[in-house]
Amino acid sequence: MPSRTVTIGSTSGLHARPAALFVAAAAAQPVPVTIRTGEKKPVPARSMLSVLSLGAKHGTEVTLEAADGDGAQEAVDALADLLEQNLDAEESTAS
Amino acid sequence: MAEEELLERRAIRLAATAADRADAIRQCGETFVEIGATDGSYVDAMLARERSVSTYIGEGVAIPHGTLAGKEAVRRDALAVLRFPDGVDWDGERVTVCVAIAAKGDGHVALLAALAEILMDPDQAAELRNATEPDQVLQLLAPMREGSAS
Repeated sequence: MPSRTVTIGSTSGLHARPAALFVAAAAAQPVPVTIRTGEKKPVPARSMLSVLSLGAKHGTEVTLEAADGDGAQEAVDALADLLEQNLDAEESTAS
Repeated sequence: MAEEELLERRAIRLAATAADRADAIRQCGETFVEIGATDGSYVDAMLARERSVSTYIGEGVAIPHGTLAGKEAVRRDALAVLRFPDGVDWDGERVTVCVAIAAKGDGHVALLAALAEILMDPDQAAELRNATEPDQVLQLLAPMREGSAS
């Protein structure tokens, strides 16, 4: 099963703007991807409320997973790369 | 006076009306200014955040808040709950409740997680959308207030 564990790179954590970008990217993937923190229950990466409920801050480790299938590894990789970036960067000029 | 309360009764307005999304956000920001939680410039930071990305999170609820740059305008962490019974067009979504957030550090992440947990229960989400008494809101959002105290 394709899986990757990454740390949240966004300064403000996985909320508002970073979460919105992440959820949109997850919805655009050809396969469903789940996200979880630690050993907690995986939740759908394309659900905003689910993603917010994780309460993932900057530096929190999260694990992305998808069922085996065409494009599954690529989907997990694309979303993992996104989480590692600082999605706040373009607006955090004064912080 | 419980001035340190995250969600004060006077920051709950359950029969608000707004012409549009910007108007609704402005009212949320003005509520923060009135209760002394932020400076006036936080309103602009909230509008800037909304232009950057919609703060709609589902279940008819939006969470207006400032940009990172706007944190300087925050004097103390606070919430404001404004209910718009007639609904507000939110970039194609219909918003009936704004849970506006003013937070200095990264306390908003725990706040949002608590709010998301509440809204994932359809019954609680509906109760929030239909609340007519501040006590209902205080009770529903109690997990948010407790979460921030730690």
